[in-house]
Amino acid sequence: MSKLASSEYYDLVRTTNWTPRYVAESELFPEAMSGARGIPAEAWETFDEPYKVTYSDYVATQREKDAGAYSVKAALERANYIDSADPGWVSTLQAHYGALAVAEYAAATAEARMARFSRAPGNRNMATFGMLDEMRHGQIQLFFPHEHTKRSRQWDWAHKAMHTNEWAALAARHMFDDMMFTRDAVSVAIMLTFAFETGFTNMQFLGLAADAAEAGDHTFASLISSIQTDESRHAQQGGPVLKILIENGKKDEAQKMIDVIFWRAWKLFSVLTGPILDYYTPLEHRKQSFKEFMEEWIIGQFERQLKDLGLDLPWYWDEFIRSLDETHHGMHMGVWYWRPTVWWNPAAGMSPEERDWLEEKYPGWNSTFGRCWDVITENLQKGREDLTLPETLPTICNMCNLPVVGTAGDGWNVKDYQLVHNGRLYHFGSEVDRWCFQQDPERYQGHMNVVDRFLSGEIQPQNLAGALLYMSLNPGEIGVDAHNYAWAGLGKQNQAAE
Amino acid sequence: MAIFPLSSNFEGDFVIQLVVVDDAATMDEVAAACAVHSVNRRVAPRPGKVLRVRRHSTGEVFPRDLQVKSAGLMPTETIDVIFSDI
Repeated sequence: MSKLASSEYYDLVRTTNWTPRYVAESELFPEAMSGARGIPAEAWETFDEPYKVTYSDYVATQREKDAGAYSVKAALERANYIDSADPGWVSTLQAHYGALAVAEYAAATAEARMARFSRAPGNRNMATFGMLDEMRHGQIQLFFPHEHTKRSRQWDWAHKAMHTNEWAALAARHMFDDMMFTRDAVSVAIMLTFAFETGFTNMQFLGLAADAAEAGDHTFASLISSIQTDESRHAQQGGPVLKILIENGKKDEAQKMIDVIFWRAWKLFSVLTGPILDYYTPLEHRKQSFKEFMEEWIIGQFERQLKDLGLDLPWYWDEFIRSLDETHHGMHMGVWYWRPTVWWNPAAGMSPEERDWLEEKYPGWNSTFGRCWDVITENLQKGREDLTLPETLPTICNMCNLPVVGTAGDGWNVKDYQLVHNGRLYHFGSEVDRWCFQQDPERYQGHMNVVDRFLSGEIQPQNLAGALLYMSLNPGEIGVDAHNYAWAGLGKQNQAAE
Repeated sequence: MAIFPLSSNFEGDFVIQLVVVDDAATMDEVAAACAVHSVNRRVAPRPGKVLRVRRHSTGEVFPRDLQVKSAGLMPTETIDVIFSDI
């Protein structure tokens, strides 16, 4: 039987659509699920994605990708790279897998929303592949860390994290629920595939892959670059959806969706990717600073994509640029100081050489964040580890669910953006976090962050032990300094030399 | 006598923290309670300086002997704790 070339049939099959006769359009595509926003079916049918693939090509290509990634893993397994890897790198992997693996699986649900409820047949077609992609990403990022579960219970958290009330998991789930789990198909296309995937995930996956290759972790490098090739394909669904919205008078609505999710994605990356690139990755393997990666992948590429689509930069762009020098330093210190509450071992990243590097990449760092680390270092050198561990909770933002942080030391500027809404006092870590809340208060107003839960008595007993219990953090999982404070001895010598 | 949560924004620190005091506590006592979680942890002490408390949202500095319950603060409201000469 002769086969038609895909170019001969592709455009026909990718836009398969029909007019329902036995049910109403509104029953088949409820507005809450499809989000067509009054735009007619003919307009949605103009959806045209740049990268096209047939199912048979998809299967063949994905099979090859998996064969590649899995065979690299199998070949390198006996080298036992993890046993001799820097503990900071091990923590990078543990943090990454815990934060991402199950979230990828959740993203399959989001893709399925588009596959079923998008009014654009081309979108439904591409989202079917996207759904398969995300299932792949969930499976592969659970399988890869699984071989390490024999080494430490912290590796269990690749699966466990998203099933707990650990605070970073709560922050991630709040964001992912907002962005993709609870949105109509059009919103998913814009928020997940455009704002989040096109913008940010390149950083985590390709930026981190570069550092991984430098560090000699070829299993991880090949894994996440392989994952990102899928992303580049399914992330392209947002562009054509945006085009249709803009052509049909919905530019403002589209802009607001992007503005909200871009900031939310930024906050999540500031606590996960920022510390990884600037503090956990061993110094000699850091290709670029977090800020440099952000400038290349976000400011460079995303800016261009927005402009190409006829969209504006988010209204807070200047504040975003400014915060690249600040937020992740605070998030890192917070994660390190509150290290018993995370499932990985944070690397302080505070050797004299690392502090010099930070000063070079972020001029003034030593007289701001460095001042706090000076006190911490001195305490460790005086045998006062107790003073480097927390006895209270940080104030947590009611939007991003992360600590309210700012610049410390000589440049002290920490600010709480408070809001009284319906008689309840909310705290926000930035003007933009507060603005996000104000765009849809009914959506967010009922949520209780960890501090709210603590004060309401939900966390018992009301102490660190109670908090760890609430967060399902057991002995063997609770975070400690990745290098057992080895870096603190050198710090003192360096100060004396100055 | 009732517990009163506040959010402590301590001068020089990098983060705001939950500090629970008694609502009969004076601002001096509040400042001391906040200092426990910042001074000698991430903020170097400054001998000779007095710690003063101000409402974060307005910058209003509270008298040192003012009690929390008379300050018009909401539970968990943010206060700045700053080093001062007086």
